[in-house]
Amino acid sequence: MSDVVRLTLRSVIDQPIDCEGITPDRLAPLAEADIAKLTVWVGSRQARLGDFFDVKGERSDRLSIEGDLRRVDGLGVGTSGGEILIHGSVGRRVGAGMTGGWIDIRGDAGDDAGLAMQGGALRVTGNAGDRVGAAHPGASKGMVGGEIVVNGSAGTDAAARARRGLVVVGGDVGADAARAMIAGTLLVFGRTGADPGRGSKRGSIVAIGPIDIPSTYEYACTYQPGYVRLLLTHVYRRYGLTAENGALDGNYARYCGDAPSQRKGEILAYTPG
Amino acid sequence: MEIRGVFIQDTFAEAFGMRAARLIITARTFRWARAAALKLTGFATSVIACKCEAGIERELAPADTPDARPGVSILFFTMDMDSLGKRLTERIGQTVLTCPTASCFDGLPDAPDRLGAGRALRVFGDRLQMSKVVGGQRYWRIPVMEGECLIQESFGVQKKGVGGGNFLILATSADNALTAAEAAVKAIDGMPGVILPFPGGVVRSGSKVGARGYKGMIASTNDAYCPTVRPRTKSELPEGVHSVLEIVLDGLDAPAINRAMRAGIDAACRPGVKAIGAGNYGGKLGPYHFHLRQVMADV
Repeated sequence: MSDVVRLTLRSVIDQPIDCEGITPDRLAPLAEADIAKLTVWVGSRQARLGDFFDVKGERSDRLSIEGDLRRVDGLGVGTSGGEILIHGSVGRRVGAGMTGGWIDIRGDAGDDAGLAMQGGALRVTGNAGDRVGAAHPGASKGMVGGEIVVNGSAGTDAAARARRGLVVVGGDVGADAARAMIAGTLLVFGRTGADPGRGSKRGSIVAIGPIDIPSTYEYACTYQPGYVRLLLTHVYRRYGLTAENGALDGNYARYCGDAPSQRKGEILAYTPG
Repeated sequence: MEIRGVFIQDTFAEAFGMRAARLIITARTFRWARAAALKLTGFATSVIACKCEAGIERELAPADTPDARPGVSILFFTMDMDSLGKRLTERIGQTVLTCPTASCFDGLPDAPDRLGAGRALRVFGDRLQMSKVVGGQRYWRIPVMEGECLIQESFGVQKKGVGGGNFLILATSADNALTAAEAAVKAIDGMPGVILPFPGGVVRSGSKVGARGYKGMIASTNDAYCPTVRPRTKSELPEGVHSVLEIVLDGLDAPAINRAMRAGIDAACRPGVKAIGAGNYGGKLGPYHFHLRQVMADV
């Protein structure tokens, strides 16, 4: 048994490989040679993990992955426990459907990070692509639990159709954030893109930075929500992400929407000064 | 055994198993957190008449509370799970829900046994309430005239709580008894996992089980330790003792009671105190026995 299993990508790859199923909980009982034999997919062709990665370590639920991983998709999909530390930027679907454990990406994440996530924590120190925490195509709901924290910015459709859980974006977020959100929370420290919360049922958008409130949301009041304070404190203590000065104690304008629903959803927009 | 000239009687405090919860009340200022805490722990000295026992465990700095506001930690005790849930719901609803800026959080997050006091209180929101999950814990946001009240959904229960730890301060005068009792309370104040549920932490009316003169009384005065009726009863008071005060302790577990009794008795051993005793029922009622000389060993 070793402290950590290290996977090092040998060279830059010219076509995407799909590493779905390479999770720390699955690797935990395996010897080094068995880990190298695990299946990955190159297009429709089967290959072995060891064809692309040097494997060092065995029988550990801590996984460290290094190299130019931008064309490596599906890392950590379905993780139920353990820890993955990814040094560098990764491809699509990182942490999708994970139910537990911790995935830490020291770089950017491609599209669909944390798609339909159910539990655990996914942190991206760089930027994330489109549909972070959103739903599989055609699915009725996106993430149903867990926490996704993107230190940088995120693309479009962040937290779309989320049913529960928390998505935090330290920078800006693209258009259609929290679209058709069922419940859960999207916290944005930077600018929130166009049409946020469209079709939201009971979802919450907490906007620390600028946000254009859709006309289908109705202003309720300006107050200091205890929930936002609890949320910001949690995000700071667990992930080290801080909002601008004053956001913790500040006032927030509450808007109820979206109009076609029963206005159970909300946008809490920080109003400095 | 003597500590600084104070005789430690060869006896024990007899205590009972209780169900306990720890509440963290926060507010915009410590004043408001304390205001809610004082109301919540009001009239909660003894389960015999108050249905619960509660007290302030310690004050909390913003760094120690879930929402980074000043707070107060409260310990809350009842005899069974069912009554603990009912009392918590009643008291949080009437004291935290009503108190400006106050929020209520669970202080035993690792306890597997949970009571849904916050879930019960959510209905005050008349279907306009919202729930949110932060860090794996669910919280209810209940709309109130001020804005919003935030209450955690469930509260952990410590099944191995201990109620009724005690010691008696047998002094040469009422002034000396009170001075020693105040010193004991000061020594125990802020110790983790323990509260003193009586006024100022001190009891002057210790009780015995039942009554000789009145049928149906659950408890009556502990006449064996009442100096004014010494000639009329089977007194337990040593010569020269003219006043007795009792310190009663509830704790999250037996070691917490043990540590607090040790600190309190040590502080109470001062001039004007003749002896330290303890209340028990012959060891037949309560499963926890705190033998004074064992508690104070090596002091």
